Amino acid sequence: MRICAFILVGLVTASGAAERPRSAYVLIVHPSSRVSRIDRKFVAEVFLRRATRWPDDTPVHPVDLGPDAPARIRFSQEILARSVASVRSYWQQQIFSGQGLPPPELPNEQAVVSYVLSHPGAIGYVTGDTPLNGAAVVEAN
Amino acid sequence: MRLVLAMSALALVASRPAAAVELSLPGELGQLQVHGFISQGFLLTSANNYLAHSSRGSFEFTELGLNFTMLATDKLTLGLQIFSHDLGPIGDYRATLDWYSVDYHWQDWLGIRAGRVKLPFGLYNDSSDIDSARTAILLPQSIYPAQNRDFLLAQTGFELYGYRGLGAAGGLDYRFYGGTIFLDIRPQPGSPITAVDLNVPYVAGGRVLWAAPVEGLRLGGSLQFLRLETHLLVPSSPGQVAVNLPVMLWVASVEYTVRDLLLTAEYSRWRVRTESSNPSLFPEGLTFSERGYALASYRVNSWLQTGAYYSLLFPNVSRRGSLEGRQHDAALTLRFDINPFWLVKVEGHYMHGMAGLSSSLNGNQPLSSLHPDWALFALKTTAFF
Repeated sequence: MRICAFILVGLVTASGAAERPRSAYVLIVHPSSRVSRIDRKFVAEVFLRRATRWPDDTPVHPVDLGPDAPARIRFSQEILARSVASVRSYWQQQIFSGQGLPPPELPNEQAVVSYVLSHPGAIGYVTGDTPLNGAAVVEAN
Repeated sequence: MRLVLAMSALALVASRPAAAVELSLPGELGQLQVHGFISQGFLLTSANNYLAHSSRGSFEFTELGLNFTMLATDKLTLGLQIFSHDLGPIGDYRATLDWYSVDYHWQDWLGIRAGRVKLPFGLYNDSSDIDSARTAILLPQSIYPAQNRDFLLAQTGFELYGYRGLGAAGGLDYRFYGGTIFLDIRPQPGSPITAVDLNVPYVAGGRVLWAAPVEGLRLGGSLQFLRLETHLLVPSSPGQVAVNLPVMLWVASVEYTVRDLLLTAEYSRWRVRTESSNPSLFPEGLTFSERGYALASYRVNSWLQTGAYYSLLFPNVSRRGSLEGRQHDAALTLRFDINPFWLVKVEGHYMHGMAGLSSSLNGNQPLSSLHPDWALFALKTTAFF
């Protein structure tokens, strides 16, 4: 009986965990944004600075985490479809040929949330368990 | 002494992890970002001097750059880069304004840059000075010849550029430009012909890159027209000979990036017509050159990249058969990233043919008398922020 109860508790716990997977990252925008879903390709263009405006023509301000942050690594692979090192090479080309500057790199998730909250038009990404303090979450599809 | 200074500066930059320097400016002005790089290389060939006096080993392979970019408004960017280099007989550590521009990004599909702007030719011409942005030390010299840097790197004029998403069809990245190139005349020791002046009345062209719907695939084409005008002093002639060279260059490019693997191939033809005021002293003609390469690069882990390419150069397609009329270049590279701001590269080349060699670097011997099979070893370290 005790064994059955133990297994039951284990299954319930496991299924609960399965319902609430911890995301590697969530995309966040300024609370004034009316965007709730966003095209993954558009996000990639924004972070490579090929797209600089939201569809309503307001400026978009992307913000990155540092190169070793787990959320940056997953974001880079899933949204930009290239490694962080490859993205850094891309920015080396852009910077030193006068074609553009990368998004600011901030040291941690809290700094990204603060940046997004203080810049209308901002978009960033943080790990799923980061306190968002009112920043809006958007889904990329 | 200059080499020692360059090495000291390199050691200083490499020893401290650094990011771009950002300065907040007073009042309504935006932020100013400062970036820089310092490279020191070494070239050694088994025979023939290539790019420098390499047969005895040469450290005349140095690059330094410092750039300042200010985002004045959401749409307006101002920037400039100071660059100094030495590569055998060229550069000689003179500091120049590599590029400077006023960039008005009106819409994503249309912006304009005015100033001295790097030429978009092929996939990598505008970033050919940027060692940190690639695996190889030397880009394939068939399409990106280092000794032609002054001709091919930047123009002074304007550029229209933009990016247009095409939905399911991918996106288009395009740049179109027109202007001129200011060139200094370099003395050619041992050459019987002396250039009195050298002008480029125009350079114009463009590059279109299509980001195909297949993730990581880019296809592109570049076209460039320019005209060189010079007056030459030729022995046995009392006056000057006017020589004009209308040139057309094009390159077709394909690049495929999948995670840490990069595959690239480019093919190019350059058409040079020679017009002379005195054909008996300086003959007229029409030359087509053919160039191409295939390249693969793979990032093994965070600190190691490997690369290889095979490059072909035929400076005159009607003389492919001769050894001095072709250059086959097979290269292997290892790149070690010591930290995010400092790297070291080692590269070996097997060369077949004498095209691409300089007679003046080889004691003014005719190219046909140089060694047809030779090897190049290159070592380079770069620090950047």
